[in-house]
Amino acid sequence: MYITNSAAGQPPAQTEPQQDRTAAERRARQERLRPDASRRRYGSVRDLIASPQNPTPLVRLSRVLPSGAEAHLKLEWFNPFGSIKDRTALYLLEGMRRRGELGGRELVEATSGNTGIALAALAALEGKKLTVTIPSGAPQEKLTLLRMLGAEVMATPDDLCPVDNPSDGAIALARAVAESPAHRGRYAMPNQYANPDNVRAHYETTGPEIWEQTEGRVRTFVAGFGTCGTITGVGRFLKERDPSIRVVAVEPQRGHHLPGLKNLQEAKAPAILDRSVLDDVVRVDDGPAYAMARRLFREEALIVGPSTGAIVEAIARLEPAESGLVVGISPDGGHKYASFYAERLDAEEVAR
Amino acid sequence: MSERITQTRGAAAGAPAETSVADAELDCRGLLCPLPVYQASRAIDRLLPGQALRVVCTDPGSLADFPALARQRGLALLSAEERDGVQVFRLRKDGDG
Repeated sequence: MYITNSAAGQPPAQTEPQQDRTAAERRARQERLRPDASRRRYGSVRDLIASPQNPTPLVRLSRVLPSGAEAHLKLEWFNPFGSIKDRTALYLLEGMRRRGELGGRELVEATSGNTGIALAALAALEGKKLTVTIPSGAPQEKLTLLRMLGAEVMATPDDLCPVDNPSDGAIALARAVAESPAHRGRYAMPNQYANPDNVRAHYETTGPEIWEQTEGRVRTFVAGFGTCGTITGVGRFLKERDPSIRVVAVEPQRGHHLPGLKNLQEAKAPAILDRSVLDDVVRVDDGPAYAMARRLFREEALIVGPSTGAIVEAIARLEPAESGLVVGISPDGGHKYASFYAERLDAEEVAR
Repeated sequence: MSERITQTRGAAAGAPAETSVADAELDCRGLLCPLPVYQASRAIDRLLPGQALRVVCTDPGSLADFPALARQRGLALLSAEERDGVQVFRLRKDGDG
């Protein structure tokens, strides 16, 4: 059964005005279809954001893992704006609304793209303006989606000094936009890297979904280091259910090309990361991550983003006898990375 | 985010030569780092080789940021001054910038 996720704290869908001028108007209003989640009929696209009542699917991997391994991918691109960040964006905005931080202000956020896309979509529903600072090297597709959604995009160049990491540069730039005296408090910054609502989104939705969907049999959970909201929120939830569940984080190489992931030697560890929920960190370089993404397309028919390739590559390196039932996160789908994939396919053809 | 850029060469016509110190001017007063270098970097993209940009800032962090920007982008830092909490930089785009 599907229920709208009012549990996540959104205000109820706008009710219709009750004053009908004529009997015909009243009849028309009464005959109008009402949202009915059991029929997957919704009043707003935001009601499609995943929640324990409307979870994203788990799909078993059948071909890319060693025999004997059982792993399921949680396909987060089934969220309406295309990634796991839909959950985060919803919780960030609701938290700000509750604390009275939104009133009349524009939003500014640093994001590798997915949080920006989800925030821009939710902001569009409310007629709010969003500025995103995005690390250089983000795929063109994401920049275009952000612009289509009406966001102002500040691409953070590599030479933005003295900060030498592009993703940290984007964070510093967003903070400067939010806090500059010249802007007189015009901007509010959700700050997904430090905002506990990011963790709460996964503690209250992603974690419980995984527990329910595996009937409590999950033994190993694998997700990437990014904002660290997923690994911290899901890890904390699962450890509270069963401290013996193993939580594995995936970390890319320095100077990687896996949007959304972070190498915590070159980038600052986000304030919301709770290392006490981590059992292992697996390093996956670009090459194996992209190779696995291609195998997922070709052998599992899963159109995934590059970070999913890194996460499944880490799963493939686990010892099946020790890892038991594994759940990995697939943060987003592959469409937004067509240009990245084209570049790699072209380079391989030239090399052949 | 609107940027306050002024083209000064035309406006300075007829003024004493020493006041015509830049081809464009960027007012970054009240902006925190790294916004001034971000905006300056974009303004420099629009300059032609040989043209100069004057930037006025109030975040002392800019005293470290602008020499670094000049180094990284191969710009000539013609001057860097601070007086009464206001920093003024002049940068010239020499090559491709």
